[in-house]
Amino acid sequence: MSRKIKSISIYLVRVVTLLIAVSVICFALVSLSPIDPMLAYIQANPGVSEENIARMEEFWGVNDPPAERYLKWGSALLHGDFGVSKIFRRPVIEIIGTRFAATLALMLAAWIFSGVFGFAIGCLMGMFNGRPLDSVVKRICLIMCSVPTFWIGLVFLIVFSVWLGWFPFGMSVPVGVAPENVTILQRLRHLILPALTLSFLSFANVALHTREKLVEVLHSDYVLFAKARGESNLSVLRRHGLRNILIPAVTMQFSSFSELFGGSVIAENIFSYPGLGAAASAAGLQSDIPLLLGITLFSVVFVFAGNAIANALYVLIDPRTTEGGK
Amino acid sequence: MKKLAGLTVAAAILALIFAGCGSTAAPGDTAQNNKNEVIIGFTNIPSHFDPLQGFGADGHSGGQLIFSTLVETDADMNIVPDLAASYTVSDDALTYAFELRSDAKFTDGTPVLAGDVVFTYETLRTAATSVDLSLVESVEELGNSVTIKLSKPQSTFILTVAAVGIVPEHAYNSDFGLKPIGSGPFKLTQYDVDQQFILEANPDYYGHAPEINRFIFVKMSDEDTRLAAAKSGQVDITLTSAVLAAVNEIPGYHLLAEDSVDNMGIVMPVVPDEGIINQYGCAVGSNITSDINFRKALAYGLDREAICRDAVNGYATPAYTENDGMPWSNPDSAIEYDLAYAISLLEDSGWVDADGDGIREKNGIKASFPLLYFAGDSVRQAVAMAASQQAKEKLGIEIIVGGSPEDVIHDRMYAEPLILAWGSANPMTSYYLFHSSRAGLDDWYNPENYTSGIVDGYLEQAVNAKSIEEATPFFKKAQWDGSVGTSMRGDAPYIFLINKSHLYWVRDGLDTGKQKIHAHGDAWPLVSNLRDWKWTA
Repeated sequence: MSRKIKSISIYLVRVVTLLIAVSVICFALVSLSPIDPMLAYIQANPGVSEENIARMEEFWGVNDPPAERYLKWGSALLHGDFGVSKIFRRPVIEIIGTRFAATLALMLAAWIFSGVFGFAIGCLMGMFNGRPLDSVVKRICLIMCSVPTFWIGLVFLIVFSVWLGWFPFGMSVPVGVAPENVTILQRLRHLILPALTLSFLSFANVALHTREKLVEVLHSDYVLFAKARGESNLSVLRRHGLRNILIPAVTMQFSSFSELFGGSVIAENIFSYPGLGAAASAAGLQSDIPLLLGITLFSVVFVFAGNAIANALYVLIDPRTTEGGK
Repeated sequence: MKKLAGLTVAAAILALIFAGCGSTAAPGDTAQNNKNEVIIGFTNIPSHFDPLQGFGADGHSGGQLIFSTLVETDADMNIVPDLAASYTVSDDALTYAFELRSDAKFTDGTPVLAGDVVFTYETLRTAATSVDLSLVESVEELGNSVTIKLSKPQSTFILTVAAVGIVPEHAYNSDFGLKPIGSGPFKLTQYDVDQQFILEANPDYYGHAPEINRFIFVKMSDEDTRLAAAKSGQVDITLTSAVLAAVNEIPGYHLLAEDSVDNMGIVMPVVPDEGIINQYGCAVGSNITSDINFRKALAYGLDREAICRDAVNGYATPAYTENDGMPWSNPDSAIEYDLAYAISLLEDSGWVDADGDGIREKNGIKASFPLLYFAGDSVRQAVAMAASQQAKEKLGIEIIVGGSPEDVIHDRMYAEPLILAWGSANPMTSYYLFHSSRAGLDDWYNPENYTSGIVDGYLEQAVNAKSIEEATPFFKKAQWDGSVGTSMRGDAPYIFLINKSHLYWVRDGLDTGKQKIHAHGDAWPLVSNLRDWKWTA
């Protein structure tokens, strides 16, 4: 029991130090950014006087030294105050809250797509190792690994939205329908294309790693022995393969949280999907520092949680990993 | 048995999703034949609708659709009454008195009072937003009128007034930006942050009622997405680019090209390179472009029609000033393409090709300079390339086009020519571009260090005038007074090249009315006359 408490507290120390490190680095990067936050805000607004600019600079505190600004921001954060978004003029925590729900739905759908299909196809390839089916699917997977998200997003849009008309061109709700009249099914339908686009990122990865591991397992002595006993291919996979090949799949799946976050920036922009990714890119382009930092910290926690879950699952899948830790 | 159950569930879910397709299509996903509604594929969904936080601040970004302003501009950029039935300006140009109309109501049913105007102006005056009311000294109400006193005259102040939307004092709270209440021709009935917003005609509006009742603005930030949406018939009108417009044709849609002051040109350092480093630590000046004859040779020797054709497939018009077509632009600034004159300017100034390599030189300096543009902006790149090709073939001037990131250009712009774009519905832009007090600042307006005492005089007279009408002759003279000016006939610090046309796919039968000359940005200027839009078929 005490060991558990110890390992949990180590985790907590790690996540806190990670958050501090990331926030310092982010703050430094934003401070070094060539975008002048004032010019970005004023944009094409001619005739903003110096007096007014000075007032805005004071309001946003852009002329204070970075270290001072960081401490100010950090101490407010400790009191639960993430600041106010410059773009949306709303508290950052409120924006993250509303958008996280949308992004989570998207990432979860993409994550399940890529996990389930990636694993299944990986198994298929492993079982047909070296045969035409394997080599064709493997090539497709390699191509998928190298396809940029924005491109596949546009292809999906053209094929499924323009040519076939199966799915809408974007957004998370139908055009011109009041929020109270939007059904769950309409939301699901709006989710499918962006989620498919996003899942392309990790789908092929999961499949290829699963395939490698399965090939390795199938060449092992115990599988040879099982086959000698007369077990069928399927029963070999079920009894001896699944657990062994789950480890790489689980690692890929949970470490793909960070890729999903990165991919969501692009997928959400293509499909006008109102999630954290779209907010992050807007915040970056318009120098909305409180919002950008808020989203960054939030994503750190999210990715960290993903890796922590993977670590915990290893123990369940393969008890030997605990023994090694002793 | 278990398997069968699983399959049934999966099939049922799929069936429901696709059944969902059918039912969603009915209310909104396709707008065909709904003549009381328009779906707009839009790029700029506002992040809030609060005028006191800067919504609509530049006067052409949609504030006037939801809110009343004291005055507004008509299609020819004349100042016309809106919430103020009339107004007067004192002879010293410092006091503006507005007489409000009495029949204006906010959409919550309460009347618009002078107190609301005072509240709006007072809040903005002290707030830190891009709405600049720092000139305003006091705002007072007297019965049904409002008096605004300025600390110093500014003829363009009335354009600022035309941009300030009046908010109700009693209903203003922290949620106002999401649920605005105005007294304009439309009211906001739905706002899905970052996705869409819906404007519906305000039945209590005092002015002429909109022809179409409902406008749905859908966010589409990607130009390929917008094209796809038009091709699949899911929008009635949407923005497009010269590249996509040239290679696509959409059945049932036509291409609308609107003139704009969205201009593009080459800004050239007008001071020589004397080894000076400015207050930002950057080199200043060029010994090539500081020769006025060299700049004018480029101005006269480039065929603008050809650049429009080559760079943007003809979706542009030749540009001669920073504000072609605006009432305060001087039409005499326009020049004729004249290659012989350009060559004689170069030769008179000593630029000759002595070594026969096709590039002129003078005192051992080659007529060769780099031309910067923002990397990634394909239109700027195309314009730069077209100009470069012509300069080499016709004038013997070598222009080496190179894209760079914004921050790099920001450091190099005082010493090297670059492509810049302007386009504003406010003549103050000319003051910022050419008044000597702004020369060499890092705000992009005047990196060339242009100064002229005569032009300063005209610009000051323009700014101090009582009204835009009285300021207009001085703004025109600043461009060209018959012997000097900022235009290419005069000192030619800017070689203006093209005014981009703003392009849209429009469903056949949708009439977007007579539009103002579009300012910079192709989204909001399009919809500023939304109440005049109608379906003709």
